[in-house]
Amino acid sequence: MNAVQTLKLIREFNGLVAVNGIDLQIKKGELFSLLGPNGAGKTTTIKMLCCLLKPTRGTASILGYDITQEPFKVKELIGVSPQDTVLSERLNCWENLSLVGKVHGIESKELKRRSWELLETMGLTERSKDRVGKFSGGMKRRLSIAMAMVHEPEVLFLDEPTLGLDPQARKAVWEYIAQLKGKKTILLTTHYMEEADFLSDRIGIIDEGNIVALGTSEELKTNLLKMRNMVISAENLTTKIIKDLQSKYSRVEEINGGLKISHKDLDFKEIVDYLHSRGVTIYSAALEQPTLEDVFIQVTGKRLRD
Amino acid sequence: MRFWEIGKRNLKEIYRDPVILGFLLGMPIAFMLVFCSAFGGEHASPISMSIVDEDRSPTSSAFVQCLGSTEAIELSEPIYTEKFQAQEDLENGKIPFYLLIPSGFEEARQTQSPISLELAYKEADPMIGLQVKPVIEAIGSKFWGISSPLNVALRGTESKIKNETVNFFAPGIAVFGLMILIATGSMIIAADREKGFLARMLTTPTRPWDFILGYSLPFIPVLIISTLIYLGVGMAMGLTIVGNLGHAFLIFFLIGLCSIGIAMIVGTLLKSESQSPICWVFIVPLAMISGAWFSVEGMPSAIKSFAEALPFIHAIDASRSVINGASFSAIIPDFYWLIGWAVVLFAAGIVLFRSRMAS
Repeated sequence: MNAVQTLKLIREFNGLVAVNGIDLQIKKGELFSLLGPNGAGKTTTIKMLCCLLKPTRGTASILGYDITQEPFKVKELIGVSPQDTVLSERLNCWENLSLVGKVHGIESKELKRRSWELLETMGLTERSKDRVGKFSGGMKRRLSIAMAMVHEPEVLFLDEPTLGLDPQARKAVWEYIAQLKGKKTILLTTHYMEEADFLSDRIGIIDEGNIVALGTSEELKTNLLKMRNMVISAENLTTKIIKDLQSKYSRVEEINGGLKISHKDLDFKEIVDYLHSRGVTIYSAALEQPTLEDVFIQVTGKRLRD
Repeated sequence: MRFWEIGKRNLKEIYRDPVILGFLLGMPIAFMLVFCSAFGGEHASPISMSIVDEDRSPTSSAFVQCLGSTEAIELSEPIYTEKFQAQEDLENGKIPFYLLIPSGFEEARQTQSPISLELAYKEADPMIGLQVKPVIEAIGSKFWGISSPLNVALRGTESKIKNETVNFFAPGIAVFGLMILIATGSMIIAADREKGFLARMLTTPTRPWDFILGYSLPFIPVLIISTLIYLGVGMAMGLTIVGNLGHAFLIFFLIGLCSIGIAMIVGTLLKSESQSPICWVFIVPLAMISGAWFSVEGMPSAIKSFAEALPFIHAIDASRSVINGASFSAIIPDFYWLIGWAVVLFAAGIVLFRSRMAS
């Protein structure tokens, strides 16, 4: 049985389709990322799976329990860290954890044990008695994730868990999430490619409410694209030369002081020879592995940050 | 007991927020101190009252003596025997107001039939009438209930009332203060709704009733403490509770429940940035037309009818009556009115809260 399963899941808001027939199967213990830009339908998908929104059409289940027929049972099995770090700012770390634990019916003694364990894992032990209103963004995120885990849910939903964090805090959160891999089923949404790349067992690229690509990071980059990138630093690149290249190769972008050319079975020598023949001075030229952004551009025709 | 956990969290959010706590508990103290210092105290001057005794009977004389026995009232000489004389003096500004004891007063008392006293005052100074009316009602009520011959014990009872101004203002301040629960309660609900705390809790196995109880119960201790502060500070400033303290407390408790019900409605419907100004736009005028500061007697009939349809005026009237010695039976209509409103507002709050959560 899949931990999370959706079948033609659709959600409309006043005729506007936010999620357009998503089919997902996430295995137990898998860390699955939904990668997509803002407004792609990631949070709406999570909200439906958490029983906060009813699907317009289609079905979904968590560990076999239908989200519309048995929401109470689903809520017992899931933990959610929402996109906004929703905490009770005048309560301390301990009290925030205790609140979620107790509404899940965890006994006090067991709750105490789990809370201390989580606070230690999240590096919050020393601040356990401090009101969370004084916490940094990174600490709030870690506490938010801890709150999603205090009742030891089978399935964990992490909606943009590193949104707005500085690189250091982001890395710390990644490390905590990485520790959970294999122990929990995790559905993570993000618009950071590196995050999806670093953490995920599988990635679903979502755009305009549709899953447009699905697979492991390597599968997406190699099997799907079979594409190579060539980055050239050069001088005397004219508009005509760039237009000539754009007509011949899949993607040609002007970058600072040069070009980035992406194409399936790209011929390195052929490009260098062409540029030399046109009087272009080449300072450096190198082949690069494609990134998830390349995949995203390939499947959606636009950049992730657009 | 999930509601208990949500309730505990909300109570902590209330008492750890200095702004909310200041509003809920600080304002009652400040209001009571300011108003009672301004209008009350041991050194408040007695109000000079003129009497027109058209009955001119031993009973009416005894009643006049009773009125004169209170420390707050000083009877003006002479006692008029004709209404037109007093009316002329009132119109000429020689007297601030007068009480008319109509002919047939003694007979009505003997036959236990109802009789109306008339309190005439200048329209420009409606506060005088408001301050004196509860005293006259309290004395009249006692006087009417005692069989002849009149005796000294009656005077002793009535002279307990030392400061009618405080007795007039304190219930109004208390009810106005409890209306603040509307603003603070709705603020907490609206903020939790908008910031996503409610949504986060909705991903846990909690039922709608857990939220409803969790968001209303924390205000009960706040309501009890606020009421005790109002009564305590009021008494320290000269409030004299002649009637049953428990009855007064019950009235305040009921109007507090009405406020919590309204808070649930407002917090469910409005956004946090708009709920606070909107609340105050309603609370202040409602307090004004509820008789907290001014009489509704002189107001246009439409406004008066509107005010009387709402619970606040009933809470103020009933608590003033109880404080000035009225028995529970005398406030039963107000009491039922308050119960009805509390039930309606709470039910509406619950229905809206539930439907909003479901959507």
